[in-house]
Amino acid sequence: MTHTLRIYLRLLRVQFRSQLQYRASFVFLLFGTGLTASLEFASLALVLQRFDTIRGWTVAEVAFLYGLVEIAFGLMDMVFSGFDPQRFGLEVRKGTFDQILLRPISPTVQVLGSDLALRRIGRILTGAAIFAFAISRVSIAWTPVKLVLVPVMVVSMVLFFGGLFMIGATIAFWTVESIEVMNIVTYGGAYVISHPMHIYQRWLRGFFTYILPAIFLNYYPALFILGKTDPLGVPAWGPYAAPLVGVGVLLAALWFWRFGIRNYQSTGT
Amino acid sequence: MQVQRGTSPPLHLHFSAKIMTGPIIKASSLRKTFRISTGGLFRRNRRTIHAVDGIDFTIQSGELIGYLGPNGAGKSTTIKMLTGLLVPTSGELLVNGRVPWRERIAHVAGIGAVFGQRTTLWWDLPVIESLELLRHVYKVPGARFLDNLAEFTEMLEMGPFLDNPVRTLSLGQRMRADLAAALLHDPAILFLDEPTIGLDVVARERIRRFIQHVNRARGTTVVLTTHDLSDVEKLCERVLIIDRGSLLFDGGLNELKTRFGGRRELVVDLAEPYDDVSVPGAEVIAREELRVSYAFDRNDLSASELIRRVSGRYRIRDLEVKEPDIEATVRRIYEERLLDSKK
Amino acid sequence: MRLFLEIFIRSVRRQMTYRATILAGLATNYIFGLFRIAILLALYGDRQSVAGVDIDGAVTYMVLIQALIGFLSMFSWFDLMQSVYTGEVSGDLLKPISLYTLWMARDLGRAAVQFVFRGLLIFALYLPFFDLAYPAGAGQWLGLAIVIVLGWAVSFSWRFLVNLFAFWSPNALGIGRFLFILSWFFSGFLMPLRYYPDWVVEIANLTPFPYMMNVVLDVFIGVLTGPDLFAVVMVQLAWIAALGLAGQVVLRAGVRRLVILGG
Repeated sequence: MTHTLRIYLRLLRVQFRSQLQYRASFVFLLFGTGLTASLEFASLALVLQRFDTIRGWTVAEVAFLYGLVEIAFGLMDMVFSGFDPQRFGLEVRKGTFDQILLRPISPTVQVLGSDLALRRIGRILTGAAIFAFAISRVSIAWTPVKLVLVPVMVVSMVLFFGGLFMIGATIAFWTVESIEVMNIVTYGGAYVISHPMHIYQRWLRGFFTYILPAIFLNYYPALFILGKTDPLGVPAWGPYAAPLVGVGVLLAALWFWRFGIRNYQSTGT
Repeated sequence: MQVQRGTSPPLHLHFSAKIMTGPIIKASSLRKTFRISTGGLFRRNRRTIHAVDGIDFTIQSGELIGYLGPNGAGKSTTIKMLTGLLVPTSGELLVNGRVPWRERIAHVAGIGAVFGQRTTLWWDLPVIESLELLRHVYKVPGARFLDNLAEFTEMLEMGPFLDNPVRTLSLGQRMRADLAAALLHDPAILFLDEPTIGLDVVARERIRRFIQHVNRARGTTVVLTTHDLSDVEKLCERVLIIDRGSLLFDGGLNELKTRFGGRRELVVDLAEPYDDVSVPGAEVIAREELRVSYAFDRNDLSASELIRRVSGRYRIRDLEVKEPDIEATVRRIYEERLLDSKK
Repeated sequence: MRLFLEIFIRSVRRQMTYRATILAGLATNYIFGLFRIAILLALYGDRQSVAGVDIDGAVTYMVLIQALIGFLSMFSWFDLMQSVYTGEVSGDLLKPISLYTLWMARDLGRAAVQFVFRGLLIFALYLPFFDLAYPAGAGQWLGLAIVIVLGWAVSFSWRFLVNLFAFWSPNALGIGRFLFILSWFFSGFLMPLRYYPDWVVEIANLTPFPYMMNVVLDVFIGVLTGPDLFAVVMVQLAWIAALGLAGQVVLRAGVRRLVILGG
């Protein structure tokens, strides 16, 4: 176990070194991911000047949701970039996964260590800035519980989206061409929960409540922290279920990933 | 058909490889079938392909085996099963005392593999750091690592590029680095898939010498698949030939030539022109002024007997006996098999 | 011209082999569109019209944006860059056709397939579920057709130019990505430009980006008509000429560099 962890850290160090070798390109990519996140939020903030609120939520309140998702998704995308379905699918096709199976280390750890997208730091920092903007504009009655809840939300989202990446990577054992569909739940899921969820039609909200319960990761705890209400109401335990959802999805993903590897070994894709 | 060869005693103790005498790889009725589905999302045609169709073979510890076959014959499927990458559909397989896919991690710790043009090394790292990293992956003790590194660096002449990033290496340099990487942990078995593909003559020779050294001096069992039959001719005493999932041949290289080598050729330069140059037991296959080529079957006639017969009839200035090359031999084996399957 | 046609047809055939990819892209763009429509409708709230765009127009905006992603290759297009890095460009340079025209034919084939099998299909799949706004009258439809074709040409000329960075830097991908992201904002892809404050629109109008996508959106829902439409077409033509010319000049310099350095 400690051996595996040490190897993981060594693999990460390799990633650091490789990426910093192409400094100019790295700087552009870093600013690129930061710019993406900033411009996407800016487009929403700018149109909110015309529209005032989005069904009663001010730009600062939306920024609370938005900033946390950007931080979490950026972190996830950095740590789990080896599992990025499209990228991983190409690696499988190139036969790189065979090389991974030939080494006496857990394949999960090797895939995690096969990429560390440091450029996502741009997105994480932008998310932090958006979040800082939010808490500077919204008056929140902070309590110890609320203070703990914020990092818990972030970690839960990292695990949740990381799990979705793993599920996508596993599907990529079978098909690379159609793997883009996973973006609907990964990038699409992040997009949906970056906004207050009372704005969505019933089917959309229902999907992200009962089928892929992402509503617990951001919206419910944020309602509690911001002291806002939802027209449909929130169950009393609603604000605290984020870790359950995050860990649950990651465990399901790990199980599916193992199943995928076993299948890969028997079908040879 | 099996070639018995004494396992050469290892010169030094291996730290991880178990020294075994007797079989190190044993496959019985090994079979792998793939189900391929083609067509669109809705209309799928399923087809079953018997990539490896029940093969049996035993490889003794310390052997250097050439594993041959045309593309799609089942070569790489077999190698993938031997290395634990693929689970057999049925049959039994024991490598180094283990069922490869069942104890994959323990299994791969005891083998080394170089797969064609894919590198195991980290693209942006200097060679030496890739090797360092693998040392930790395989938990190679420091002293052992340094010994091996020194030996490989010298034998493979890696000194000049040890500090260069892998992405800057030539194909030959990368192959050498990959070979070193595959052997750092003293594996008991080394799997090589096309180790000389795309290399020039000098690089090829250097790699062959190294493979031979690893096999003889370290007692490492080597399984070599290759298209380049000169590799096999130079390195292997025993060859396995697979085609369409079945083993066509398992035996010594000489036996292969004797049994399937077909006809040898005697080329004679006559001293003066003759109208009739025929000789009993041999066929004239080419005639160009004073030069005559006879084809003869090694099972019917020895070369010396034929020379005696020719020189008894005609005045000869010079002569040469040509052995059939292994390339032609192997092609003949595939072709004969082709005939078999048509019946 | 015959060669252009041949390359175009070959590119269409090649695109058609990626059916699964196109289908996956279609599904993804479609569902994302539903998310985006939900958010835009929430912004509208109880208002019937904002910035001269009514609710049907707003929904149509989002539908069109999603339908045009594949056609304009909004997310990325680095094919030419890759061909420089792999060295394939040397072979292309030997062909009896300029590199610009060659890639234009290829991209036209790509765009045509994406237009039909992603664009039109996405649009058709929204039809049963939403009330959409359409161009009024034959003149507007004609204007739309011109603006779409020219929009593709602006987009292609710009993408071609960006890809040429590859001749100078082995890591031009970073710069390329960066510029693509700028295009998302200024082309109206993230939000149609009409919803932004005026100063943003003024900046955007200095760039070629609105003339790729945003003008198509505005012509379709009918907020850009008559003389304004005509003026926009002129600006599109000007950008095509300017970017095309810049592409030729930069390409020549790039090829000279390639020849000197021996690729």
